[in-house]
Amino acid sequence: MSEDGKTSDAVDAQVLRSGTIRVRSEDDILRARQEARAVAEEIGFSTTDVTRIVTGVSELARNMHLYAEDGIMTWREIEAGRDSGIELVFDDEGPGIDDIQGVLRAEHSTSGGMGRGIQGTKKLMDAFDLTSNAEDGTTITVRKWQ
Amino acid sequence: MTASESAAVTQVYDVLIAAFPGRPTDQAVDNLQQEVLNQMNETDPRGVILDISEVTTLDSFFARVISETAGMVELMGGRAIVVGMRPSVAITAAELGFGLDSVDTARSTDHALLMLGVTVEDADDVAAESESEAATTHDDGDRSGSALSPGGGR
Ligand SMILES: Nc1ncnc2c1ncn2[C@@H]1O[C@H](COP(=O)(O)OP(=O)(O)OP(=O)(O)O)[C@@H](O)[C@H]1O
Ligand SMILES: [Mg+2]
Repeated sequence: MSEDGKTSDAVDAQVLRSGTIRVRSEDDILRARQEARAVAEEIGFSTTDVTRIVTGVSELARNMHLYAEDGIMTWREIEAGRDSGIELVFDDEGPGIDDIQGVLRAEHSTSGGMGRGIQGTKKLMDAFDLTSNAEDGTTITVRKWQ
Repeated sequence: MTASESAAVTQVYDVLIAAFPGRPTDQAVDNLQQEVLNQMNETDPRGVILDISEVTTLDSFFARVISETAGMVELMGGRAIVVGMRPSVAITAAELGFGLDSVDTARSTDHALLMLGVTVEDADDVAAESESEAATTHDDGDRSGSALSPGGGR
């Protein structure tokens, strides 16, 4: 986690292509999942990694819709040296997360959920960065390398 | 979408089979849960098989609905068995920590029917039928249902 919004991933990656999906309905969550699946498959991720990526997208896109109502998912196909991967940014201008540490320990839910979406997604990815405050909303960036 | 959601719950012998769609919206998942409970009420089956073989993304919401549905079926006096979890889905669910711990699972529909106490003779018929019916069971429940009912179709 960082305070300045930069990714915690030290590797500098080159962006090959990218796209965005606006998420403000349940159908958009489905669309975000489908787009992430298509991109991850094109990059050549294994079936299990595709499942990890799409499951993470489902958690974070649903959170945006549920807690911030409206947000944007940006996907990027990235490359660093010989490694290829995917970066996904979930950006909203909602109320922000007040107990970030609690959320990362899966000890905090305001929706009667299991409170595991964010902590679980972090485990599925190779890099995870969360910036959140009441003024700017929440930005979560994740990366998965092949 | 509504038509295909309601067609996803079918009856085989005195067991309900609910096939969860592969890439559903949250609303579609909720609808299917409702449909399972309605049919549970109408047909009083001995059990419900929750078929997730088409499901490629089991996130926390979906896992919760499946656990909840199984719990409600049990409260209504039936037994619920989840079948068909894909290996990649099982791996991801375990890593996320959303195992379906409190839910019975089976490798296949045949195995689930055995667990539900469908007799060996019935199960043999089911095994034979499922070779050809596997692909159509979801939307062709009436035909397979009558073929498997005692005395039906023989
Ligand atoms: N984009 C967001 N904007 C504001 N608050 C958020 C956002 N994402 C998550 N939160 C807050 O963080 C908490 C934890 O989120 P997390 O996804 O880990 O669990 P959950 O959504 O409560 O339950 P589930 O296990 O069903 O996902 C939420 O309850 C919510 O209060
Ligand atoms: Mg969540």
